[in-house]
Amino acid sequence: MCFKNLPVEFDDQGRASLRGGIPNPYAAAAAPANVPLQLTQEQVEELVRRNGHVKSVDFDPVTRVAGALAFHAVADLKERRIIEARSVATLFRGYEVIMVGRDPRDAIYITSRACGVCGGVHSTCSSLAIEMAIDCVPPPLGVLVRNLALALEFLYDHPLHLHLLAGPDYSAALVEPTNPALFARAKTAATRYGEVHGYRTIAALMEDLNPLTGHLYVEALHMTRLAREAYVLICGKYPHPQTIVPGGMSSTITLTVMNEMFLRLSQFFDYAKKLATIWDDLTEFFYEANPRYKEVGTRRANMIDTGIFDHPDAYDATYKNADAWGNRRWATPGAIVDGKLVTTDLHKLNMGLEEFVEHSYYEEWTGSGQRQHFATDPAGNPLSPYHPWNKITKPRPEGQNWKEKYTWDTAPRWDRLGMEAGCYARLWNTAVAQKLPANPFIESTGHSLKVRVPKGALPEMELEWHVPEVWNAFERNRARAHCVAFTAMVAMNNWLAAMDRLKDGDTRTSTPFEIPSKGERRGVGFWGAGRGYLTHHLVIDRGAVSNYQIVTPSTWNASPTDRWGQPGPYEEAVMNTPLLEETDDPKEFRGIDVLRAIRSFDPCMPCTTHIHSDAGVVTREVNTCACGLDG
Amino acid sequence: MRTLVGALGYRNLRDHSAAFEVTDRLAAGDPQPGVTIEDTSYNPIALVQWLQGLAVDEQFQAVILVAAIPRAGRSGGQVTAYRWDGRLPPDELVQQSVTEAVTGIINLDNTLIIAGYFKVLPPAVAVVEIEPVDHAFGPEFSAPVARAIADASALVRRLAADATLLAALPERGLDLPASVSVPVR
Repeated sequence: MCFKNLPVEFDDQGRASLRGGIPNPYAAAAAPANVPLQLTQEQVEELVRRNGHVKSVDFDPVTRVAGALAFHAVADLKERRIIEARSVATLFRGYEVIMVGRDPRDAIYITSRACGVCGGVHSTCSSLAIEMAIDCVPPPLGVLVRNLALALEFLYDHPLHLHLLAGPDYSAALVEPTNPALFARAKTAATRYGEVHGYRTIAALMEDLNPLTGHLYVEALHMTRLAREAYVLICGKYPHPQTIVPGGMSSTITLTVMNEMFLRLSQFFDYAKKLATIWDDLTEFFYEANPRYKEVGTRRANMIDTGIFDHPDAYDATYKNADAWGNRRWATPGAIVDGKLVTTDLHKLNMGLEEFVEHSYYEEWTGSGQRQHFATDPAGNPLSPYHPWNKITKPRPEGQNWKEKYTWDTAPRWDRLGMEAGCYARLWNTAVAQKLPANPFIESTGHSLKVRVPKGALPEMELEWHVPEVWNAFERNRARAHCVAFTAMVAMNNWLAAMDRLKDGDTRTSTPFEIPSKGERRGVGFWGAGRGYLTHHLVIDRGAVSNYQIVTPSTWNASPTDRWGQPGPYEEAVMNTPLLEETDDPKEFRGIDVLRAIRSFDPCMPCTTHIHSDAGVVTREVNTCACGLDG
Repeated sequence: MRTLVGALGYRNLRDHSAAFEVTDRLAAGDPQPGVTIEDTSYNPIALVQWLQGLAVDEQFQAVILVAAIPRAGRSGGQVTAYRWDGRLPPDELVQQSVTEAVTGIINLDNTLIIAGYFKVLPPAVAVVEIEPVDHAFGPEFSAPVARAIADASALVRRLAADATLLAALPERGLDLPASVSVPVR
């Protein structure tokens, strides 16, 4: 029984139904059990009034081009902790509104623009939703090439985040001024994996993480080029592909294309070894130097992922068989609650999904006589009125204050719990579920994921990512680094399978389709972005889109506090973060621990922030990709 | 002499597509020897990597970038041309520009900053800017920008053909105080 809070039960055959005897089963009567809660606004105001050392610390956007995240916090500077945190998405992008009334095929190109890094995942997710709605199954090579395309997109994304965006937080340029004692220790701290990554001391590694000038920073720029070049061989262009279509890929795949791709993919073999060992070394150094670093960005290990990378023999684009084909994916779908995998069934993941807007700049769409459009999913499982297929996006930026509404993001919940999304959820599910097909590169042990990375200039190496004992900023980054090896080897498996198809003369990459002009149809794309969970819920009415709802990883992660007072993941992680920065002078305070906490999620919006306190203003950035947040 | 004429902007974004109209007209006209016309909007880092990868005999001696970009103190459709002085902001802003570029933000300023920082531009860099009015989806231009495109196209064609004209442009940095207009005919 995976649901503890939703009124759903299962019979002996596993069929879901609403629990009987409840007049309004999805009403929000009580808070879900055992969840953290924000202080009320009145409690915060009382603390500020009574304690001189409790200050507002605003991370306020001063965007040059397209900022989308702000962060408000109340800090107890005496206790060196955060007592209130509010995540604010400042931009309404409105893809859900733009899509209504359009030809469904437009979604592939329009929703791609939700992100300046991962456009391909949105194109793919919309293609999957359309495939399901119109009963179109791609041929095996189409599935394999689609997997390859998205693996390559992630090989662009992960290094970019690790060494261009998050990496500088761990560089000498930032560690030395914010934690001089820690940097002094780093100068003599030997690395464990120097023979792999080439750095004998942690300080040397930190020096090369320096922005602009550090070797690791510059190298990451080069690696993004390789991934991008391989990607455009099959997608036409980056970041907004032209060859992803319902029913497969429109690219022509030849041995030449495959060889050109392999030339670039193979350069990630050694790079993957290097990244995993660098972040293993960095993480262990911080833990050993001060165990309280394990509290930076910590929160309950509640996470969700839809899985990604279909098996061509399993994927049939139907909702009915989603549990079966989902479990054959190279990355297993799943929901993890308090560190335990509670389901890998895409039906249950979908059934448990709701979006709430109490603190968001949207109007409630249920109630007031509003009919719930879909009481069940296409397989007959019950759906909440707050489910995306029932959602209507009604922007209303009114009541702007912390007590009422403060963000353009919605509050997605699964089984009414605040879940986080990330490529680490992909690793965690896959490691624990042990559903991987036999293959030469990746092994799921039930508690870890072993990835055998082939020889490059470095010898063949087995990397092992272990399900962590604590969940925090460092483990997010460590897992993301290991995800490079995992992704590269998923790509290798799919590359080999595609080569086998080509050798057999199977070159068909797509299935012709038409959009039916009659009737109402539903589909959902269950896919993943570089930073995790992605769904596109689609309703087509007489050939045009009547509802389109996107839930991105950052919709989950940047979520505001919900109707029960349960904070979103950024908010919860920041509230749990101790301020370990070595300064007693508020003027020198740079907020590095809070920034590490937020940035470890790979927040999906470009955002320049001002950290503002009564003592002064410090400029810091929380940048990653330009994805949309609005749900 | 090899000259790169690059357009920066977004197609089908009304006035912000003006640069492409300029370069499309240039491409449709008589070919100019040594002139390469390119959409340089695909990402400043990718542009840097492309320029870094050119063989010696493929490298450009002059670069002309065309963009619709709003600047304070200009009227809609106003065409501004200058030689970029190559001055870079502090490293923190360069880093921010790289961050924006790799995460999908593309505009004239971060292209110049990043290309300048990585030293892939020749000494002769001309910028032709058009002040946009409308920022919305669609293939059509506002009336002022539609009127300006012929002038901008003529100016770019002349700059690409005449190195002395390019050298005679006023030199400016990115912190343009106001418009710097030059005669276009």
